[in-house]
Parts: sequence; C-alpha cells; structure tokens
Amino acid sequence: MTGNIQVDIKKRYSGQKQAPDFNLDVNFTASNELVVLFGRSGSGKTTTLRCIAGLGKPDRGFIDVNGKVYFDSGSKKNLSPQDRRPGYVFQNYALFPHMSVAKNITYGLKGKSDAAKEQRLHEMLELLHITGLQDQYPSRLSGGQKQRVALARALAPNPDILLLDEPFSALDMVVRMRLRERIHSIQETLDIPVLFITHNPVEAFTLADKVVVLHEGSVQQEGRPEDVFYNPCNRHVAEIVGVSNIFDADFAGKSENGFVLDTDSISITTTTNVDAAGSYSWGVRPENVHLHPAREDICGCNVFSTNVRSVVNRGASRVVAVDIPDGRSVLLSEMDNRTFGKLDIGPGSECLVEIDPRDVLVFVREEPAD
Amino acid sequence: MLEQAIYPLYITLKIATLSTILVVLIGLLISYLLARRDFTGKNLVDILVTLPLVLPPTVTGYLLVILLGKNGVLGQYIFEITGFGILFTWQAAVIAAFVVSLPLMVKTTSAAIGSVDRELEYVAYTLGHSELETALFVTLPLAKKGIIAGLVLSFARAVGEFGATLMVAGNIPGKTNTMSLSIYTAFQSGNDSLANILVVILVIMSLVSMAATAKLVNRWKV
Repeated sequence: MTGNIQVDIKKRYSGQKQAPDFNLDVNFTASNELVVLFGRSGSGKTTTLRCIAGLGKPDRGFIDVNGKVYFDSGSKKNLSPQDRRPGYVFQNYALFPHMSVAKNITYGLKGKSDAAKEQRLHEMLELLHITGLQDQYPSRLSGGQKQRVALARALAPNPDILLLDEPFSALDMVVRMRLRERIHSIQETLDIPVLFITHNPVEAFTLADKVVVLHEGSVQQEGRPEDVFYNPCNRHVAEIVGVSNIFDADFAGKSENGFVLDTDSISITTTTNVDAAGSYSWGVRPENVHLHPAREDICGCNVFSTNVRSVVNRGASRVVAVDIPDGRSVLLSEMDNRTFGKLDIGPGSECLVEIDPRDVLVFVREEPAD
Repeated sequence: MLEQAIYPLYITLKIATLSTILVVLIGLLISYLLARRDFTGKNLVDILVTLPLVLPPTVTGYLLVILLGKNGVLGQYIFEITGFGILFTWQAAVIAAFVVSLPLMVKTTSAAIGSVDRELEYVAYTLGHSELETALFVTLPLAKKGIIAGLVLSFARAVGEFGATLMVAGNIPGKTNTMSLSIYTAFQSGNDSLANILVVILVIMSLVSMAATAKLVNRWKV
C-alpha cells in the first residue's frame, strides 16, 4: 500500500462532566493527495488527526501511512508520536515562544549536523517565502508569518504525512487565499498525503482533492469535492455543505418529469429516483432557488407563487427568504446583487419561485441535527 | 559581637541552600508529575506535599521527630544501618526546611507547568523529542517564572524556618543555631545588640534576593 494512507479507527468517550457520550468511528483511505476532513466543530476531526499523529490512542482499529503501520489494535502495535514524526500544524500555530524562528524550524532536525540544519533551514525559508525572519521571535510575527513558520517547522524533517488542524482559521481572507494556494503547491511538490481539517465549506471545496465529511464521529461521505457538494448523500452532509433548504416530504407519485414529493401545500418534482415506501426529505441549495417577478408568465414544474418574508444583504450577494405557501417554513434564495436589483422585490411583495427538478436533492428522512 | 552572628549566618545559608537544591530537584519532578500525568495516588501525593503548608510548623516538626528519631518509623532503620542519629544535627534542619518549603515550590511550579500550552509539548513529540527532552527544553523553560518564584519562596521559607527546626534540630550553639533561632535566643537573653545585627542581616538578605529575582525575571520576555 505504498503511497497511501489507510485509517480505520474506533474510539469511545464515555460522558464525563456533562459531556455526552461520543463515539468516534472513522474509516477512510487516501493516496498522496490533499484530503480535507470536513465537518462541524465536535464532529471528531481533530480527534482523528490526533490519533493519526499518535497524540491520542484509538480503542480499536488500524492506521497505515505509506506502508508503515502506525497503529494496529490486532497486533497491539502503537507507534509513539516520536516514531511517527508526522508534520503537524496546530490551529494556534504552537510555535515555541522562547525560540527564534530558526530554532523553531530546525527543532525537528535532531541529530543532524549544524551545517545540515543550516541548509535545511534555508530551504524551508525559501519554500515558504519567509527568508529574513530567521532571527525573529514568534511574538514579533504576524498571523500569516506564524503560519508559514509552523508549516516550515512541520516540513523540515521531511515527514511522511502532513496534518493541518484548521491552519487558516485565525487569518484574514487575503492571507488565507494566498496560503491555500501555497498548501496546494507544497502538496504537489512534496508528493505526500496532506490531511487538512476545516469547517469552512469554501476552503474544503477549493483545496481538496478529496473530501471526507465527518458528523458526530463518523464518516458520512468521501469523494471529490464536486461529488460531495453537489450530491450530498444525506441530510447531515447536505447541511454542512450549504444546502440550507431542507424539508420533510411525503411521496406523492410519479410524473412525466420525475417523482413528486409533497411538503405543506407545494409539490416538488425531482429527477432523483424515489421509492413509494420510504420517507424522505428534499433539499435545494439557495443559489438554485430562482425568483421571478409575480407578473411573469412561467410554466413548468416546481413553479409557485409566494410572498417575500425578508431580504438579507450579504455584501456580495442577497439572500431572500420566501414563504412556503400555507406552511410555516421559509425557502432561502441566494442571488447576486444585479439579479436582485432587476427583480424589484422587498419584504411583503409577491414573486414566483422556480426550482429545476435536477437541482432537487432527496434524502432518506432523519431526525434533524440539533 | 559580630563574630557571634557569623556562625548563625553560615549555618542558615548552608541549610537553606541545601534544602532549596533538594526542593528544586524533587519539587520539579513532583510538580511535573502532578501537572502532566495521571496516576493512582495523585491526590494523596498532592495532599501529603501540601500538608506542611497548613500544619503548624511545630506539628510538622513533631511528626518528623516521630519519623526520624532513633526509635522512629524511618529513623530506627537509618540508625541501624549507619549508626547515625539524624535528630539534632544540621542535616535534620535541612530536612525540616525541605519539608516545610516543598509545598511552596510544588504549588507555584505545578501551576506554572500546568499553564504551559500542551500543544507545544505535542509539537515537540511529533518533531521526535522524548518526553524528558520536551520537559527540559520546552516545558520547564516556559514555566521558568513560576519555577523561580517557587525557588525564591522556598529559599525564604527555609531561611525563616523556626518551629519545625527547633523540634528536630534543637538550637545547639555551633551546630544548629540558625539565624531565626539565634534571634529568639538573643532576644530572650536580653542580648538586643546581637538580635539587632541578625535582624539587619536577614532584612538586607531578603531585600537583595527579592530585588535580584525581580530584575532577572523582568529581563525575560517569555
């Protein structure tokens, strides 16, 4: 299994101090690519990363990185973090405050000669474009610089795997975008598996070669970002990837355009195959909910007229909440400001809603996440 | 008159220095274990170490006598093996000073170690450094302010130790008459000028060590 990582671990936390029981049951594989572990906080992302680094011990399971067995409960094998030596970048950078940048970066080059350390230091400074910072102390660095030093320190010993725990969460958007590109090029240059934790959908989508979605300690879906984002396999994944419109529905039959589901007074047609026996929820991304002026004449399925409840200006876009007729729920529609301007609508005004049946996602009904 | 102050000063510094060295070595180990490890009996260790902080020093001294006397729980074995009766020697005074100042070291140091970000230690582990190396080069350097505070408090406590020392080491002139004890004796016997000299020396010593520590600690950025 050279060039691959294989993770299959289980860990049980019994409820202590008001915390509920938590079961981690994570199973995924990856090759030398950028894998994003994606999920809400508390979904088990960091625990998984720690188990891979050897900073936490699973109850049962198996971890293999590039053919090296890190953990195997079957043969009672559990390498120490010192023997695994993963490149690990913590959320808060965790730079040693009492060491200079140079000392921080070379701290993992134990047993190397001073000349070799010096050479590796300069390679790392160049790779991360932080030449000139080597004599500074971490307290003097900006967030982005700290991040780069932390990355340089993690990469200096040539790790078999790079683990990044929400490395950009404390950075502003511009620095974030630059570092994202850097991470990608570093992954390609070094050709090692990179595991990247985030709860930011944009980050997950733009960075990942592969996304692994975690919810309450277990893997819900893994695949290319497009697959996960456009075809979430269940309600939990859909909620995390931004399908903010999800409604319970009853099976109502088949039509020429597909299958029909009923929610309150509206019928929604979907191209997804639906079985009469099941109970379902349907969902649609807010950018796929199209609004039209009330006077416009549109026919087709999934068109109904309704009232605008509220409008939120998000800066780059508008989110319009419209009532589902005769229901208490609202449907969110996101559009660019230009489209919104042409619509000429506001709270209370009437409009038409149109949803393409191909954009209607269907899930087996589950209790919604709390 | 001054020569009468020399021996108490010498024996006090000797006892306090030795006791502080022991307190630092053993105190660092206990503090690290209390702050970073989970083990059975952890609470018991914590309570035993802290106890002399709340017990009257005479009680601590009395318990040490029971422990270390020639017929004592530990003392009888020490006497059997070495023929050495530890009570009423300067070594006993070192033990007394050690026991009463250890909690000051452990309380301040374990709090300082506990406040060092664990992720710094985890990073060091993933960079291939053992727990001992990490403790020595990451954790303890970052806890050094607390360690120095504990050291200074422990030294001051050892210098000022009276009750327990009196119980286990007596107040034997030329052997165990520390400054604190000598001040009491001089005052009792009406030798006010000796008491004054000893008090002035003690006050100056305390001020200088405090100022030196503050200056040292202020120079540190982290």
